Amino acid sequence: MVPFEAYLILSSVLFLIGLFGFLMRRNLIVVLVSIEIMLNAIIILFAALSYFKKDITGYVMVFFIIAMAAAEAAIGLTLAILIYKKLKTVYTDEINHYKG
Amino acid sequence: MGLGIDLNSLIFGYLAFAMVVSSVLAVFSKNPVHTVLLVLVMVVHQAFLLLTLGSEFLMAVQLIVYAGAVLVLFLFVVYLINLRKETKHSIFVKRFCLCSLVFLLFLGFMGVNLYLIYGAKKFEQAVLPFNPLEKDNLWWIAHYLFNYYLLPFEIIGVILLVAVLGAVFLVRKVKTTEEA
Repeated sequence: MVPFEAYLILSSVLFLIGLFGFLMRRNLIVVLVSIEIMLNAIIILFAALSYFKKDITGYVMVFFIIAMAAAEAAIGLTLAILIYKKLKTVYTDEINHYKG
Repeated sequence: MGLGIDLNSLIFGYLAFAMVVSSVLAVFSKNPVHTVLLVLVMVVHQAFLLLTLGSEFLMAVQLIVYAGAVLVLFLFVVYLINLRKETKHSIFVKRFCLCSLVFLLFLGFMGVNLYLIYGAKKFEQAVLPFNPLEKDNLWWIAHYLFNYYLLPFEIIGVILLVAVLGAVFLVRKVKTTEEA
């Protein structure tokens, strides 16, 4: 039997990996992928809580998180394509259009 | 088992190891195509982790939505933008110190949180309880989704509609301004 703490630690490690990619990477696409990694970590946490607490709320939240992630990916990738069309780059430190 | 390790721990260990390794490789890979494919590996493993957490419906949703739709969308965009490999520069941002400061702040915050959670691990009474022996997981999700979470369900539908329409609208608008 796997204890709840194992799922908690796995979720935290994955969240930190995603956060590292979100903060450190230059490529806008990889930044968006890192957001997906963080959302996946949260999904594990909700499902594990639901499983160990015998409470259906976590599973329902996982359902909503997956739907929200799909909407977020669509909008985020559209914005990435628009930025690439306008500025010809997807590297976040080259996007200094509004710096003045 | 003879080795003193039961099958559940073995499966969880393999899934956790594969997920952590593939996401670390995804974050540190130079080629964005490799990043997306490694995250695909992570998502498939996570789908089976959801199966071990007792929800076959969420495994199917995870495979269909994440592996089937979201990551294919990412792969299309990577090919559409036609990124060169980041060999000339570092793959990380220039303001490394500031970003690591924020990262370490989060790390410390999460450490404190885990420490506090580890102290108080008793679960309280469930809000919307279910019995997996009585009906299967999908029945319970449907029951509570359409009885208690009907309004959020409708709202998430509207959000998805707005996202799709917004994506189409944004791309169309730029095309017309470039032609004018």
